[in-house]
Amino acid sequence: MAEIFKVHIPFLDDVKEKGLKDALVAKTDESVERLTAGMNIEAVRSMLRGDPVTRPNPRVKPHADGFWLHMRPTYFNKKVMPWYPTFRLGFLAVYFLVVETITGVILMFWYTPSTLVAYENMLNIMGNVPLGLMLRDLHKIGAEAMVAIVLLHMLRTYVTGSYKKPRQFTWHTGVWLLLFTLFLSFSGYLLPWDQLSLWAVTIGASMSEAAPPPVVGRIVDVLVRGGPGFGDIGLLRFYLGHVLLLPILLFIALGIHYYKVIIHGHSLPPGVEADGEDTARKVPMGVRDYFMPDVMTKELYWIALWTFIIIFAVTVGNLYHAPLEPHADPQITPLHTTAPWYFLWLQGMLKLGDKLIWGIIAPTVLLGFAFVLSYLEVGPSRRYIRRRLGMSFAALTVAVFAILSYMGTPYYAVSSSPDQEVMAVLAPQTHPGPLRGTPAEELVVGEYSTHAVASVPTAGLLELMELYEEELVKFGDDLPDSEGLMIIEDWQVGLKKITLRVLWNGGERAADLAVYLHADSNYED
Amino acid sequence: MTWRVVVGTLLVVATMIIVAFTAINEPARMADFDAGFEARSIEVGAALFESNCMSCHGITGQGIPGVAPALNSADLFNGTRLTEVGWTGALEDYVRLTVAGGRPLASTGTSYPQRMPTWSQEYGGPLRIDQVENLVDFVMNYGLTYAAGTGAETAAAAPAAEGIGANLTDPALPAGDAARGEQLTMDLGCVGCHVTATVGPAWLADSHPSGTGIGTRAGESVTASDYAGEATNAVEYLRESIVNPNVYLSTGFTAGVMPAIYADSLTAQDVADIIAYLETLK
Repeated sequence: MAEIFKVHIPFLDDVKEKGLKDALVAKTDESVERLTAGMNIEAVRSMLRGDPVTRPNPRVKPHADGFWLHMRPTYFNKKVMPWYPTFRLGFLAVYFLVVETITGVILMFWYTPSTLVAYENMLNIMGNVPLGLMLRDLHKIGAEAMVAIVLLHMLRTYVTGSYKKPRQFTWHTGVWLLLFTLFLSFSGYLLPWDQLSLWAVTIGASMSEAAPPPVVGRIVDVLVRGGPGFGDIGLLRFYLGHVLLLPILLFIALGIHYYKVIIHGHSLPPGVEADGEDTARKVPMGVRDYFMPDVMTKELYWIALWTFIIIFAVTVGNLYHAPLEPHADPQITPLHTTAPWYFLWLQGMLKLGDKLIWGIIAPTVLLGFAFVLSYLEVGPSRRYIRRRLGMSFAALTVAVFAILSYMGTPYYAVSSSPDQEVMAVLAPQTHPGPLRGTPAEELVVGEYSTHAVASVPTAGLLELMELYEEELVKFGDDLPDSEGLMIIEDWQVGLKKITLRVLWNGGERAADLAVYLHADSNYED
Repeated sequence: MTWRVVVGTLLVVATMIIVAFTAINEPARMADFDAGFEARSIEVGAALFESNCMSCHGITGQGIPGVAPALNSADLFNGTRLTEVGWTGALEDYVRLTVAGGRPLASTGTSYPQRMPTWSQEYGGPLRIDQVENLVDFVMNYGLTYAAGTGAETAAAAPAAEGIGANLTDPALPAGDAARGEQLTMDLGCVGCHVTATVGPAWLADSHPSGTGIGTRAGESVTASDYAGEATNAVEYLRESIVNPNVYLSTGFTAGVMPAIYADSLTAQDVADIIAYLETLK
């Protein structure tokens, strides 16, 4: 019986044999080797020092035996290591995907996809969760950066001709990744359930209604929004899309995309190979940069740098904060609603005319073209000089998208009443603006007119009244013989009522806007 | 490679310091955010009050006799009113409950014959829960006036000057100012029953079955066969309706709904201005 319960600890035998210190060192060495899937302490230190490789090379073992590094190549071609030609954009896109996943999962702890509490959840995250504001800001800045970087990565791939044979399919999966990234960002827009969310997404989602024929459009619209307008069901759909469906699709597409990148090797800079030739897979001994330590330190450095930048930007740097507008209200359309910046080109196209042609057919054709571009454009050369047409096409595309995006902003072809525009400059609906940004003590009770700007009592008021006057002059054609009044009253303890009144046609026509402003509301920040 | 290791390590340390620094300052920042949020909630509440509550509770919450009680008054915040109604909970809950649910029936034993409407969407009203909360924050903010002891109590319910009295011809009406009259109808809460709702006969042509406004109907009613009052023309008819509302009732309306307080509380000028305004509503 006793034999069954006999405990045998081999380590104790080692201690007996070598003494405690040597046994501990040996055990640690063994643990490190197991954790790194093949590198003992000496190999790790030698790698970090950048010693020449010994034979057999222990630095390739983690790639062969370990899970994480088996996804990464053992070495890269020296020619793809500098900034040019990759600009590290693909790596950065994945970096931001990881940032989004981490911050997103943490934010999920404080979020319920219900129109009753979603907005309150935001206030709770911002005002009650330690570091909650930072996490939300990081998630938002990461989302914006990820979209921008994926777009730049696509542009870079096009410019260096890296989509050409044999990498057509890599390009194709990249377009899927772009699509999923855009939809991830777009679906996240709705979740805070503020006015910005509701109206930006409403603009996008309402386009689905134009899908032909009308019965299909209606069905698609109802499927997307869960009803004739956004409500609990629509919010839940966007939430599940945002946290489950789209991430799953994105990770699958990313797996395929990166697998193809490794299989074909990173494409060399254009011009180092003969036309039609692709030698990226075979990396001769002399031009290898091993993953350990060169690529790894570069990547870790890059991660440290970007983490520092984004965390600095949203905390002590105060450079970026995720916006939060008033609670979503389907009854109140803000004066100027815009789609997210990466869909402004779509909003611009919609101003060109028919919703079906510009809102559905044109984007579908564009997207379809992007999907098959790598199979259509089969010119053998990747040299810039021999791709004049292709380069012109890229420049033209960028220019057209820039112009369309401009056309999507409220500065282009949006008609609204000029009196509302003037008042909205001082007190906009979508962000605090100059009036709310003026410290409460500067807003002295009284009635002020743009006809007597100089007589106002404080510097803050003077600035506001000058802006007011300037705007009335700007809209002088539509608002002839105008006067702008600002009436400031004490309303409650700490609360002031500010009435903006624009009079024109010599006082025949008038429009009012009332703004309540509390001394503690902190819009200055 | 070495510089990358050094700079990268420094960056990681710097990032950790920044996060630690931010974390240390979080309690203060969060308190600040909450104060700012509370203040913005009061702002939103003020706008909601203007569009939903003002017509009955008065522009500055001073209440309107016979229509709705004062919110901007000491007795609400010093516990007097809660004792009167027998409420033992917190005032804020009382306000929230009243805003959200309204009053199912008009309160007996008060001079408020109308029931307060339900406001929360939870109970079939028009406002979202967060909007109800905004209104509660706004109403509770009136409490600061009394807590601070600024003596602003006197600002509420300004005492009326010399009342016009119930006679239809004496004193003679001065010239009326329709613009001031329109403002008065809002300040006094007339619009709560005659425009916003139709507790009383609708003033506006669009809301009345006849398709005509009160300005037109006054002239017609005074010559109608069933008219039982003392007025001889439209102006006197309107004056009578204000100062002595129960003498003659429009079809379908009962006596005592319109407060019979205006003979004492309005001046001749007030009545003249209101009539001047009503006559413009053809």
